Amino acid sequence: MAEVTNRSAGNGSSEQRPKRRFNTRYVRKPRYCQFCSDKTLVINYKNTTVLRKLTTEEGKIRPRRQTGTCAKHQRAVAREIKRARHIALLPFTGGTWEEKIR
Amino acid sequence: MHNYELVIIIHPDLDDEAIEQSLDRIKGWITAGDGSIDKIDKWGKRRLSYQIQKQNEGIYYLLDVSMLPTSIAELERNLTILEPVMRYMIVAKK
Repeated sequence: MAEVTNRSAGNGSSEQRPKRRFNTRYVRKPRYCQFCSDKTLVINYKNTTVLRKLTTEEGKIRPRRQTGTCAKHQRAVAREIKRARHIALLPFTGGTWEEKIR
Repeated sequence: MHNYELVIIIHPDLDDEAIEQSLDRIKGWITAGDGSIDKIDKWGKRRLSYQIQKQNEGIYYLLDVSMLPTSIAELERNLTILEPVMRYMIVAKK
């Protein structure tokens, strides 16, 4: 009997505390692929305005977990960025660094 | 016949006449291999993202070409030899 009363008292105190649900600090953003939702957006090596958004300031290809592109389109993005790099439309490295020098 | 896109970057210090000459040579190679040129798009002088042959700029041309896959290798070999062309890229069109 004594144990039972103790437990009910414990329950009472826990109800006053706000309950923690998993990890409240981390909220996942809803993911969607911008190329799946907008069919008019073409991934092409000539379309540097789109490709520039998908690269970091150093010129690296940004990962899928940052941009939210789906696997199919990420493969296309990677291919087109590499093509654009070959004909010097995009930098291999250090895009911003060189601009600062100029 | 397959459709290809050919991007070439020509040396920026060349005068118009020399550019025309080298373009004519490229056209000659394409037609010699039973190909045809559908469109020539001049992008003009553009700043390069990185230096090529110590140049900061280049004159860009985009050619829409239809030619035999077997004659691509020949065209590539000729383009590497042609001096005013700093960089080229051949991409198959879908």
